[in-house]
Amino acid sequence: MDEYIVEMRHITKRFPGIVANDDISIGIKKGEIFALLGENGAGKSTLMSILFGMYEPDEGEVYIRGEKVEHFSPNHATELNIGMVHQHFKLVSNYTITENIILGMEPKRRLGGLLPVVDVKNADKKIADLSRKYGLEVDPTQKIENLNVSMQQRVEILKMLYREAEILIFDEPTAVLTPQEVEFLLDIIREMRKMGKTIILITHKLEEIKQVAERCAILCQGKLTAVCDVAQTSTKQMASLMVGRDVSFEVEKKPPRFGKEVLQVEHLVVKNADGFPVVNDVSFGVRSGEIFAIAGVAGNGQVEIADAVAGMVQCAEGKITLADADITHASTRARIEKGLAYIPEDRQSSGLILDFSLGDNLLLKRYYQEPYCEKGILQRDAFEKKSRELIEQFDIRSGQGEKTTVRSMSGGNQQKAIVAREIELNTPCIIFVQPTRGLDIGAIEHIHEQILKERDKGKAILLISLELDEIMKLADTIGIIYNGQLLKIAAAETLTTNEVGQYMMGVKAE
Amino acid sequence: MKKENQKKKTRPNLFLTIMGDEKRQNISIPLFAILLSLIAGAILMLILGKNPIDAYVSLLQGCGLLPKANYAGGKNMFTDFMSFLDIWTPMIFASLSVAVAYKTGLFNIGVSGQMLLGGFIASITVGYSDLPAYVAKPLVLVISMAVGALVGALIGILKYRFNINEVVSAIMLNYIFQYMLSFFILTFFVNPITRQSETVGENARMTLQNVQIGELKTVVPLGFVIALVIVVITHYFLKYTRTGFEFKAVGANKKAAVYAGINDRKNIMLSMSLSGALAGLAGATYYMGYLGSIQPKTLPSTGFDAIAVCLLGNSNPIGILAASFLISIITKGGTYMNSAIGVPQEISSLITGLMLVFAACGAYIRVRLYRAREKRRTMEENEQLTVKQEGKEKEGAVK
Repeated sequence: MDEYIVEMRHITKRFPGIVANDDISIGIKKGEIFALLGENGAGKSTLMSILFGMYEPDEGEVYIRGEKVEHFSPNHATELNIGMVHQHFKLVSNYTITENIILGMEPKRRLGGLLPVVDVKNADKKIADLSRKYGLEVDPTQKIENLNVSMQQRVEILKMLYREAEILIFDEPTAVLTPQEVEFLLDIIREMRKMGKTIILITHKLEEIKQVAERCAILCQGKLTAVCDVAQTSTKQMASLMVGRDVSFEVEKKPPRFGKEVLQVEHLVVKNADGFPVVNDVSFGVRSGEIFAIAGVAGNGQVEIADAVAGMVQCAEGKITLADADITHASTRARIEKGLAYIPEDRQSSGLILDFSLGDNLLLKRYYQEPYCEKGILQRDAFEKKSRELIEQFDIRSGQGEKTTVRSMSGGNQQKAIVAREIELNTPCIIFVQPTRGLDIGAIEHIHEQILKERDKGKAILLISLELDEIMKLADTIGIIYNGQLLKIAAAETLTTNEVGQYMMGVKAE
Repeated sequence: MKKENQKKKTRPNLFLTIMGDEKRQNISIPLFAILLSLIAGAILMLILGKNPIDAYVSLLQGCGLLPKANYAGGKNMFTDFMSFLDIWTPMIFASLSVAVAYKTGLFNIGVSGQMLLGGFIASITVGYSDLPAYVAKPLVLVISMAVGALVGALIGILKYRFNINEVVSAIMLNYIFQYMLSFFILTFFVNPITRQSETVGENARMTLQNVQIGELKTVVPLGFVIALVIVVITHYFLKYTRTGFEFKAVGANKKAAVYAGINDRKNIMLSMSLSGALAGLAGATYYMGYLGSIQPKTLPSTGFDAIAVCLLGNSNPIGILAASFLISIITKGGTYMNSAIGVPQEISSLITGLMLVFAACGAYIRVRLYRAREKRRTMEENEQLTVKQEGKEKEGAVK
């Protein structure tokens, strides 16, 4: 038993209505890369949150280095040299890298032998050394707000290393990275193992596990279905263990039937608050029956293109035409009525009103039209009838049907609700931005099916995604954006994943 | 180990049961806040050496809700109650004003200033005229509403056009109105004896004075009936109309509302104007009904108490009716409590303040309750599971 550095025995954790972890026992050896695989809601994060001390298990025991853990708190976990990189980074954006890393355990020196002050300079040096040692070069004096996502992740990793973590937990670390950045991160993880660290990788991406992990525990609906040796298990086997049934990686995609151009964007320029052009002279067109995908690393202007088309931000220059009508300066509502549906990037802050009921959210773009509103008075019966139809048709699951507060629904069902509302508008053009972010395989399959179904119905679809896999799978035409400019527009079959990745980094400019 | 677990039965928690589910908490949490503040007030009175029960009874007596020991000539419980209605009326309007803005995500802290300006303009235009009553009284309402709405719209414009926070501009306007109107009153409209503005004429007065009913002489607050009607209209408006839906959408999530094609600017303007109009009504019933004159250099406390009422009533018009009833009892009854048993009148303001504090803690209480309920549910489920398992084990044994 002593060979395990972390041992979790018969862990059971219940939340109201569900058993998140059902009698799970795993052991992790010192110095290995151990992967935890499962769909969203399978209980991976709960299990690791118990290890990191954020929850106390209802039953079962946790042993670290052979000693039983009595107190469950993140502070205690840190004392036991456990560190965790969360899916959503926990950084103060207007602090420097150093300040973020030392936050909570600031080194002190005494000014003039008396006044205690934070010793930032020494910390800067220490962090610079540390970052070089692990190949994670950063400039410790940079502020977080000036860093991109992958740099922020480095800071999170450095934070753990600075706290001398021996057991490192990564929660979905590659979800927001480009293929090249993923490669780099996996290298870092291998490097850390060489230095004797134990690494736990939570993910639902099989490829990564294949690449770095030695052993892998697979969770399915709160139960441990298998602990397997990665080298001897195929990705297909792992996938079916994870979902509990056979999955097809390929989506069925009919050959496209393009019609005439529905959406045209000509020489679009969008400026941010500082007057800097975040979208610079972008032109493209989307035909009916076509999925036009914009690939790019986060923050290169792709979301601003979608917002400009939908009327959420002003366009400084250029022209947007929708179904032969100039909508460059039309109001948001006029655009919707002209035939534009929009699934926004951030479903909780723009796509939904979380404190409204599901029914009200499903009719958020229709509430003022007949039969839902007559002479300024809302017709609640019509609301109820329509929302029940949509809930049925799109299989939206919630506690109390259309009366459920959206805040209490799961992310997947929230997204289904948005997709249902937008598809129901039955517009000739639909914009999808990051439609599957944070969803599990089942929900992703469902959304992808919907997108393809709309395309086959002859809709013009603009798809903006950070997931390259998704783009390669769905797109008919790919445009790659870098620094606010479309570097390349080409038919999807003429591009390889690697090429797209290089364009995304701005490497392969013509 | 396992046996010990089984023995640990869930204790039924009375407090949790009383507070009820989330829907009931809309009512139970404000009631809990009221209870806490009354208890805190009672402790305070005990420290002062007064009997809190006597004090609370005297609050109700002062409002004509309980009989007093003796009455002056021409007065009884009914007349007390009528004058209680007189002071309750502006409180209802003022609280509705706060609520309409609050539903749209705006905080109208300028209700007092809007009341003052509305009341002042209505006083100088109609209050000192000889118009017949059936023209003057409706005109008072229309003018005060229009003035309030204009002030509200101004705050709205400053907000969406120049991005000036509505709280800041409303507080500024409060000061401007307070001192500017004080200048006008003291210069042109002052009554040299009372040092207040001249009392408005009976033709324009929103509360009929000295109405003889049998032996009794009473006030008749006409505005109260209007207030009740407006409560119902506001409730219906917020719940069932298209504009009400848009208000709530902008208030709950402006970004999502804009995304859905709702014009946030239009709704902010409209909501602030409506809020201002309601504040104007409060001003009309306060200055031209309850008081009959305007005291210079003073903002009515009603506009600020209205914030407490709105919080306590969950910014729901029906809830506000109940909450304003309570706060008005404390305000109005405070005077009698002072004269009857010598509890300082400040204590009643203090209780109002405590209610605001406890009502503001509502969200905290809600979260704690939520956690406690979750915990209890989990424990119950655990129990059920073990019971089931036991059952299965027994079945197995029988087989």
